[in-house]
Amino acid sequence: MAEYWYIAEGFENRVQEYLADNGDSEVDMMFTVPEKDFNTAGKGSSEVKNLLKRLGVDSEVLRRIAVASYEAEINVAAHSHGGVMHSAVYDDHIHIRFEDEGPGIADIEQAMIPGFSTADELVRELGFGAGLGLPNIKKNSDAMHIVSEKGSSTLVEFIIFFS
Amino acid sequence: MNRKDSKYFHAIQILEDNCTGCTACVRVCPTEAIRVRDRKATIDPNRCVDCGNCVTVCEFHAIIPSSDPLDIIHNFKYKVAVISSSFFGQFSEDISYENAKQAVLELGFDEVAEEAMVTDFMISVIREYIRQNRDKRPILSSNCPAVVRLIQVKYPSLLPNLFHQEAPMSILTRFLRDRISKENQLKEEEIGIFLIVPCVAHVTAVHQPEGAYKHLQDGAFSTGMIYGKVREIIKHVQNNPKDIDTYPHGLTWALSGVQAELVDTDDIRALSVNGTENVMDILSRVEDHYLDQYDYIVLRSCTNGCVGGCLNVENPFVAMSRIKKMSKDGDSKEIHVEELERLHAAGEFSVTPLAPRPIMELDKDIKKAIQKMKKINEFLTMLPGLNCSACGSPTCYALAEDIVLGKASIDDCVVLKRHKPEDDED
Repeated sequence: MAEYWYIAEGFENRVQEYLADNGDSEVDMMFTVPEKDFNTAGKGSSEVKNLLKRLGVDSEVLRRIAVASYEAEINVAAHSHGGVMHSAVYDDHIHIRFEDEGPGIADIEQAMIPGFSTADELVRELGFGAGLGLPNIKKNSDAMHIVSEKGSSTLVEFIIFFS
Repeated sequence: MNRKDSKYFHAIQILEDNCTGCTACVRVCPTEAIRVRDRKATIDPNRCVDCGNCVTVCEFHAIIPSSDPLDIIHNFKYKVAVISSSFFGQFSEDISYENAKQAVLELGFDEVAEEAMVTDFMISVIREYIRQNRDKRPILSSNCPAVVRLIQVKYPSLLPNLFHQEAPMSILTRFLRDRISKENQLKEEEIGIFLIVPCVAHVTAVHQPEGAYKHLQDGAFSTGMIYGKVREIIKHVQNNPKDIDTYPHGLTWALSGVQAELVDTDDIRALSVNGTENVMDILSRVEDHYLDQYDYIVLRSCTNGCVGGCLNVENPFVAMSRIKKMSKDGDSKEIHVEELERLHAAGEFSVTPLAPRPIMELDKDIKKAIQKMKKINEFLTMLPGLNCSACGSPTCYALAEDIVLGKASIDDCVVLKRHKPEDDED
């Protein structure tokens, strides 16, 4: 499996610390993301946003989390055979994981280039598939991790700190 | 009007004797501000945004809009009515725009002005503002006071995107007070300026304006109340008509969609949305940066815009059709905007940055908030998940939250109670 890592400058220690000992999360949320279902896609990230508002997360951080999770959720709906969104809220950060059922990313480095897209006709007609999904998640995350290969499932996960 | 227990003024009152505890209001409140406890509805004044949805939905006349009584105009030497653009859509075709306006004047005012007079000027101010604030995309309209308060309560990150200039009726108020005091050698406080408004949010905005630097209006009258008084004297007016200036072109301001069409131009892309649910959906997408392709979004809390306000008497679609007809048929009197432009250049129409009203968060401290959220989730698993509102909270989640915040008990859930009769108090 091919792997891609991104950690924003200045966050290396905090991310390593968390990965070394990722204790129990405080609040968890699970959503299924059905294939090509653009009516419900976005619901998971919208619920996560409502939860974080209740927790009083800073509004600019909240907007970054909302953008990254919405992008990732739409990605799963648009490109995969469906998947699951799993959000884990800790007291200083959120860790959101998207796992799908394939068909996998052939070239992750290429998928990270803004504007590169493999979206099909249906997806583009619906106004998605501009090739900005993964780069936009990266732009809004403090850490991002992708594991995938052609013909297999894809894991996209990211971490955003509250302060 | 409701001033108790809160720093926020509201133009909505609950008549306990009429309330049956049916929970219809609980379910339509966009900020979950209403609870029914002991079979009576109560409104949390910190959460209420004066959208008026509860007023419209209540079948028992238990939620009553409040506005000012007409006789307060006699406290002033010079009395001015400023009419909201939705007003003339209330009258059937046999009552002309001119006659209806003359009748308002004859209710005891010295002068009658209309929101419709300044809408063209507003369009140019809005365009200029958008071009000067390209870094904040999209700019959100601030004309609807319910939308402004909704953003303060639920979407505080969008406050910088609000159009930070006064609304047309307030701009007109500034201009009129300035002009009348000079022309008639009156002190500013001797002039009473009153709005005739279509909704409770505008009544609230008159009594507690957000972001205003100066005193604005002296009262707000309900469209329905003025409509009734106009009908009483309309025969007399129709038999004794006077020459009255009208501004049919500007009336379209009352319609959602038209303002966006007018602002939209080569370098400005505008979107229009109306109805509380749609407004919330759009604001949530703006929050996610998914509508950054728009430069300007017109947001109105009521159906079809101000014609849908709960103080109106006519159906919003009928009123819209009449206004469209009036705006096509009539000619508007020309308005000299030089004085408005001078006041605008002097910064007279600016508003202060608006502060959030963050009431949705569970605790100031995020760790405590998380602990409360965990408890809420525990209670949520015990509740039936029907969101029936029978307990008096809008959803099972809201009840779980109320329990954790000490405002309710799990025994309030009638569904649970039914399933374990041995725990019942009788």
